[in-house]
Amino acid sequence: MKVRRVVKWTLGVVLVLAVVGFLAFLYFIPPFTLMAPETFSGPEIAAANAVKLEAITDPKTRALAERGKYIVVATGCVDCHAPPSAAGPDFARYMAGGLKNAVRGHGTFVSANLTADRESGLGRRTDEDVLRVLRSGVSADGGRLFWYRAMPWAWFANWTEEDRVAVLTYLRQIPAIAHKIPPATAEATITWDPTALEEGSTVDAGTTP
Amino acid sequence: MRARESVAVRRVDKVGDLLDRTGGGHGVTSSSSVIFRFVLAVLLISGAASAQTPSAAGSASAKAIYEQHCVQCHGLDGRGNGAAAPVLVPRPRDFAAAQFKLRTTETGSLPTDDDLIRTITYGVPGTSMPGWQKFLSTADIDSVANYIKTFSPRFAAERPQSIPAVAASVPGAPAANTVAAGKAVYEKLRCAACHGTDGKGTGAIATDLKDDAGRPLPATNLTEPWTFRGGATPQDVYLRFRTGMNGTPMPSFVDAANQTELRNLAAYVLSLGRKPVWDMTAEEVKAFYQAQAAEAARDPVRRGRYVVSTVGCSFCHTPVRDDGSLVDGMLFAGGQKWGAVPFGDFVSYNLTSDKDTGLGGWTDDQIKAAVTKGIRPDGSRMLPFPMPWPSYASLTPSDLTAIVAYLRTIPPISNRIPAPSRSNIVSYLWGKFQLLILKKDMPLLAYPGNAGSAGGV
Repeated sequence: MKVRRVVKWTLGVVLVLAVVGFLAFLYFIPPFTLMAPETFSGPEIAAANAVKLEAITDPKTRALAERGKYIVVATGCVDCHAPPSAAGPDFARYMAGGLKNAVRGHGTFVSANLTADRESGLGRRTDEDVLRVLRSGVSADGGRLFWYRAMPWAWFANWTEEDRVAVLTYLRQIPAIAHKIPPATAEATITWDPTALEEGSTVDAGTTP
Repeated sequence: MRARESVAVRRVDKVGDLLDRTGGGHGVTSSSSVIFRFVLAVLLISGAASAQTPSAAGSASAKAIYEQHCVQCHGLDGRGNGAAAPVLVPRPRDFAAAQFKLRTTETGSLPTDDDLIRTITYGVPGTSMPGWQKFLSTADIDSVANYIKTFSPRFAAERPQSIPAVAASVPGAPAANTVAAGKAVYEKLRCAACHGTDGKGTGAIATDLKDDAGRPLPATNLTEPWTFRGGATPQDVYLRFRTGMNGTPMPSFVDAANQTELRNLAAYVLSLGRKPVWDMTAEEVKAFYQAQAAEAARDPVRRGRYVVSTVGCSFCHTPVRDDGSLVDGMLFAGGQKWGAVPFGDFVSYNLTSDKDTGLGGWTDDQIKAAVTKGIRPDGSRMLPFPMPWPSYASLTPSDLTAIVAYLRTIPPISNRIPAPSRSNIVSYLWGKFQLLILKKDMPLLAYPGNAGSAGGV
């Protein structure tokens, strides 16, 4: 009799602890806890891990790429161009794209794969194609314009041409990751919240072959 | 390749692009790749001619082409007030005002059809206006040029007054003595009042230049010819002196100097041009970056304006209308509401210097902590989104100081921003359960309008 009571109580306590623990886990799990700001440098570490600028042998390319890196990291390109996941941006697949952003009246855009991949990344674009997007928001595909709230090219238009070339030089150093990005679609309406103007997603819209 | 050059070079560029598209990987454009492109272009010129990119809008009306490619900057009614226009420097052309910079016509006159076609075809260096030759057929470009003319009644009422043919073709090859003679003209015409004694603004008296619409328009830096709006051949530069640039403070000097003087001036101005980074050696690039840093330290407000205008603070810190356009006149006043499910609603802060509702009451350190650490003045912390402070954490201390210096100069706009409204604990935990366990898509929502006290969007 006494043993049964002990077992009952023990099980009860374990159950309560499990529930509380699970809720605490949900509450605290990153990226939704607030990291200590002193220690949080995700985008910068991601860039340092992914792109080894010190391996560049040509000193001029290196100098331009270093400048480009500073601009790209501080501008936060990776905020949209990292593949999204339930646990936040997937910095390990640096700049592989896949973040879906639907904009009312303009359709659904998916952030591009900026890696050197020849099939699915920036590796398939010419220098002028890339510079034109960063200067004018005009896609190499038929001269279609990126809506400025999906790809904020209007701000990047304010880069000096020299900084823009530095950004291009850096982007060219990003190692290839095969990650196919679907083209923009012309959906005119937003599906889940008609009061919103834009909606980002936490699901990777790209496909890895 | 980058600055606007002769038509022939442009054609080569285009052919090079076509080749590149089938070719594959590339480094940054260098002179060797230019030669490479040129050789291939010559070899394949006939093939390239037939490979002319067909226009997707071949049979579409000019209006449809305009609405597909031009509206985002120039606006539906051509007033230069497209959705993205408020952040672009210089502003997109206002076709209704019909003040065109790049012409072969007398000052104040309308441009010729060829002038409009040239601009649409080759674009405007130093601005967002791209050359459309790669994407639109010549017939399409002609019809768009005609469509642009419908925005102003002036085109129906007036005829463009072309400058005399002899004046249009003046510049010859510049000799050494023409450069020296041109320097005297630079002084005589007091070019330094706006462009500075060195062409990049040093010692300029008129530092607060505005276009005809009253918007700030800095004088062109004459040491960077690849940004010359009308191109950087002697002919291009001469034409700007001869015709002036309508709608801007740049006048025509037709009455102040003769053709020879203006030709010499063009030679002098082009002699001021420095090497762009893509033509520099490694050592020159490093020295250039050091000089830039020193200049930024001397003029932090200017550097801060550059960083803020390129990083994109106003993307969120400006109210947007229901059609997604930025509200002109409310730049940096905040008020955009973002819903980060399941965390709550966040409203972008008022970055103007307003004492009560903006950054006017914040210390420099408080601004820096918010930008780089996501810490509000009350000590509370921001999520890593929608305010992407983890990215801004990599800004250098000198750039941060520059950003603060610039933000302090933004004229105050009163727009009180509500505190974030956090989700209650139950929906917060349920939302995270859906996100992390059920892997459900949890949207980040951006709302139109101004959630600040100024409202009225």
